[in-house]
Amino acid sequence: MSGVWIVIEERDGRVGRISWEAVAAAQQLGKLTGLPVAAILPGAQTEALAAEAAGKALTRVVRLEHAALADYTADGFILALEQLFEKEKPAYVVFPHTYQVRDYAPALAARMHQSLIGDVVSISEGPVFVRQLMQGRLSGEYRHAGSGTCFVSVQSGAFRADHAETGTAAVEVFSPSIDPAQIRAKPGQPFRGSAQTVDLGSAQLIVSVGRGIKEAENLPLVQDLAAALGAELAASRPICDNGWLPIERQVGSSGQSVAPKLYLAVGISGAIQHLVGMKGSQCIVAINKDPDAPIFEIADYGIVGDLFEVIPVLTEAVRTAKQ
Amino acid sequence: MIFASPTLAEPEHFSLAEKLAFAALASASLFLFLRRFDPILRRILRSKRDADFHLAPVGRRLWDFIAEVMLQAKVIRQRPLPGLAHAFVFWGFCAFALVTLNHAAVGLGMGFLDPAGWFGRLYFYLAAAFAVACAAGIAGLFVRRFFVRPKWLGEHLSWESGFIALLIFLLMATYLAAFFVPGLGPEARWLWWAHTLTLLVFLPIIPHTKHLHLVLSPLTVFLSRGSFSHIPPLVGDEDFGLVAGTDLTQLVSLQAYSCVECGRCTEHCPAANTGKTLNPKEIVLGLRSYLNERGPASEEALLGKFIPSIAPFECTTCGSCEFQCPVGIEHLPILIGLRRGAVNTGAWDNDYGAKLFLALERGSNALGLGASERDKFVQKQAFPIFDGTQEYCLWLGCMGGYDPKGREIVADFAAVMNYLGTSFGVLRKEKCTGDPVRRLGNDLLFQQLAEANLEALAQSKVTKIVSICPHCVRTIQEDWKEFGTPPTIEHHSEFLARHLDRLPRLPKEDTIVYHDPCYLGRYRNVYDEPRAVVSSGGTLVEAPRHRERSFCCGAGGGLAFLGEEKGERVSHVRADELAATGAQVLGTACPFCNTMFRDAFGAKNSTTPQLLDIAQLTARALPKADAGDGN
Amino acid sequence: MKILVAIKQVPERDAQIRIDSSSKWINEADLQWMLNESDAFALEEALQLKEKHGGEVIVVSAGPERVGSTIREALAKGADRGIHVESDDLGRRDALGVARLLAAAIKPENPDLLLTGLQSDDLGYGQTGVILAALLGLPHSSLILHVEKTELGLTVKRELEEGWFQTVELPLPAALTIQSGGTKLRYATLMGIKRAKTKEVRRVAAGALGADFAATVNLERVSLPQKQKSTQLLSGTPKEAAAALVEKLKFEARVL
Repeated sequence: MSGVWIVIEERDGRVGRISWEAVAAAQQLGKLTGLPVAAILPGAQTEALAAEAAGKALTRVVRLEHAALADYTADGFILALEQLFEKEKPAYVVFPHTYQVRDYAPALAARMHQSLIGDVVSISEGPVFVRQLMQGRLSGEYRHAGSGTCFVSVQSGAFRADHAETGTAAVEVFSPSIDPAQIRAKPGQPFRGSAQTVDLGSAQLIVSVGRGIKEAENLPLVQDLAAALGAELAASRPICDNGWLPIERQVGSSGQSVAPKLYLAVGISGAIQHLVGMKGSQCIVAINKDPDAPIFEIADYGIVGDLFEVIPVLTEAVRTAKQ
Repeated sequence: MIFASPTLAEPEHFSLAEKLAFAALASASLFLFLRRFDPILRRILRSKRDADFHLAPVGRRLWDFIAEVMLQAKVIRQRPLPGLAHAFVFWGFCAFALVTLNHAAVGLGMGFLDPAGWFGRLYFYLAAAFAVACAAGIAGLFVRRFFVRPKWLGEHLSWESGFIALLIFLLMATYLAAFFVPGLGPEARWLWWAHTLTLLVFLPIIPHTKHLHLVLSPLTVFLSRGSFSHIPPLVGDEDFGLVAGTDLTQLVSLQAYSCVECGRCTEHCPAANTGKTLNPKEIVLGLRSYLNERGPASEEALLGKFIPSIAPFECTTCGSCEFQCPVGIEHLPILIGLRRGAVNTGAWDNDYGAKLFLALERGSNALGLGASERDKFVQKQAFPIFDGTQEYCLWLGCMGGYDPKGREIVADFAAVMNYLGTSFGVLRKEKCTGDPVRRLGNDLLFQQLAEANLEALAQSKVTKIVSICPHCVRTIQEDWKEFGTPPTIEHHSEFLARHLDRLPRLPKEDTIVYHDPCYLGRYRNVYDEPRAVVSSGGTLVEAPRHRERSFCCGAGGGLAFLGEEKGERVSHVRADELAATGAQVLGTACPFCNTMFRDAFGAKNSTTPQLLDIAQLTARALPKADAGDGN
Repeated sequence: MKILVAIKQVPERDAQIRIDSSSKWINEADLQWMLNESDAFALEEALQLKEKHGGEVIVVSAGPERVGSTIREALAKGADRGIHVESDDLGRRDALGVARLLAAAIKPENPDLLLTGLQSDDLGYGQTGVILAALLGLPHSSLILHVEKTELGLTVKRELEEGWFQTVELPLPAALTIQSGGTKLRYATLMGIKRAKTKEVRRVAAGALGADFAATVNLERVSLPQKQKSTQLLSGTPKEAAAALVEKLKFEARVL
């Protein structure tokens, strides 16, 4: 059985950051098992991507090329990878846990009589794969049994992309045979949610402003922070009541319910009517002058301070970090 | 002396022709009356039977009948001047019972009250006194309706009411005039016939619209459901509430036909007063129209054509309507029944409502928060867990367990109990009592919540509960009875009032305006205990609308969870009224009222009173070491 | 349209998590159970399609006896009938093993559309629907927010990362995994519960389906994670605190 294989996913014509993380994970797994690590690049035009991958400490880089793989489809990817795996018989296959991978990897594994161990957060001696259960309230240790391929996907951010070791790898091409008729789904072009309407419900990052902002004239402070973060702007009820921001931006029991990855509450005390609208947020940051403000009870991170001093420097720090 | 003064003149004996004419006219009048009354009576009787109606205890019913019908207590107390005028008209009618009987007997040559005898004379004088009062009363009411035109009587001028007023006046006038004509003369005869014809014209009009209350309302008052806002249980697998005509019960139909259109319900309704569609009088009249046009066997929806679908869902269930009604109409079971019909069948499509129901289907509280939040609070406050050894179970409720301000109130009350040395514990797990879903008409969810909670309480062997929330108190004590036997429960104002003598007092500096919560005041008749607590912490100030007339904060009936309302905000109207008293502090006894006023004051730029629950008022006088931690 | 919805009964969100004596799973005593959240959305999607296009909605669920209450809840919300695959040791199967069991129960039904929720609230593999598609030979798509029936089959709206979406066209029969939040859920009603009393729930023993399978992936041990959620207050001058916050957001919370 030949080694650890990592399936790299393309993002905007380049190797996505999460794939580098998966490379780092695969390299760690390789060290634990003493197996060589190789990478696969499925696609229609993977030369440039392969060049990127070739700069990492991998034994091989395989360009899995076929015209039918230009746009992602589950059928296309499964057929192509299955053929490669029939040939190479990997011991381990590592994926980044992306929406795309979730769409095909379980089916691919099933066709090879395996179960995917998905969304892994750490790999240790064994190998033992750890993933989270019960919405993060429980940790589970998984092991693979039997002699077949072990399929694993790794959680975004669980491994560090800058830990992917550099080196040189040989690039080769593998051309699967795919009959266009086997591709049953027709994917359309990706599009953004409507730009006109405010859709806080699907925003991943939200900066929310409350009475602490004192006056409408001070809003640009928060708008700058939102822009720097690439976040949507939201508000608690009094701000919308005063007409400083449109009602569509109101978060709370009589407004929108949101559950973004990041909810940054600026000058919001955390009255229950607001809390019920955002308590599902994954990461809550609160910036408020009052150390007893209820918002701090549910925040993951908090800064007790004057928002007029904190927000400008925070905006600066965010801009620097994103460069 | 009296034997020499004028008495009622009686006409000389009538001829056979006259007697026959009288008999014929009387029969015709009676026939016309029955022709109108019979279909109404049949519609009432053919309505579904009320499953949980019990005649006993008759004593209480008799008492209500005497107080509200005979003594006109509510009619007068809630609208004094017009009420008194009406009372005179009513008492006039009562006094006239014998007079009218005698009058008819005279027409048949069988008069039994001798105007010359002492009893007849006395009685006729008595009746005359009533007649004067009645005539004055009806004249006054006529002026009110046609010239003063209070808006509660509606835009449309009722000529019919005017005509009836005229008839009543005529009846009194023709009676009184008979004292001033010689007995046995032709004038007496004309007056007799005038009085008779007026009477015979009056009789068939009675079953027409609201005048039917003359016949029905004493019955309606006597046959009330038995308690305030009594929500009847659903019966069988096909009963989902008031969906169509077939769901209207006899009591509902009786009440719909008893409406006198006085508008007292609407006058005090928070929704009607703030520009909403809901108008309680129109709800009742809508049912009446439905019964007239479709009947009690119809499957057509009650909501839609006869009653706007949105109207029942604008109700805060404050109870002012039911409380004010002088003829015994019970609006709350009707409004909640209409809500049940829409919610239990899934016809009610409301995002916020669905969110509330789903939060309670999947979680433990109405706010949709994780139960671990309550656990954290309990741990932080170091509340003991109820284990059967403590005296009280302290019920946190959704607001007390999850709302930051509600938590402060609970913490302060716990501090007071600790100071008093009263032992208490909190349940390890609480589910929402189900008040909002009960009032919104979701019986499935309510049953699940009630049963789960009853079991938890029974397992923990709780016998006494104290709570800071009047909604929890009401729901646990009354609404849970349908599914088991709840432990006794009291509101913290009742507890505090009992122990006031052992609690320290702050010097009375603050002026405190106290707001009566609907579910503590009208629903539970607790007005004095919170006032005693307020008075021990400052100087009590009353709002213009207080005690039974307290104006709702707008949160009840599940409305706190239903998002924005149209028109003025009920909470703002009441908050303004309370702030306008100039009091330094606003004392509340309900965490929902507290939160509504907090929001309303928060939107104001002027100075507003400090908002404190009575528990917080009490706790601030405690020695510092015992005072609550708040958050 | 004959729509089959595979649903799962999971512990309630508020459940207190305690590890059982074997350390292989949580203690299930005193747990309350409910319908998995994304399955509720899958069911809702199915019911809306039935309301629009007619047909039948069947729910299938595997597990011990308590699963019956969740099946009845689905019937109360409007599903026409249910299939309960009775199994007391589902935990010994891996994702493929569970899917094989369900596939064996589903196959004879030959549905036009198979829907599942995106992932379960307890194990959270997010694989069952995708594997079922492979086992039953159906085209599939996942993370679906909206389903529309067209003349040629289906047009679905799929969620992509970072606020992007994509429409995908599929022929029928097909399988979809449904993401939460794409539509409004209906609440359970008294009328629904009463009507559900007469709806059929067919019980099938897992053993009778002949889908026994040796697991290739085993959950060997569970534990409570080290980090409990607590508020980290960042101190120092505004500049210092801001810098610390950015650091945390980037590397600890990983949201930047």
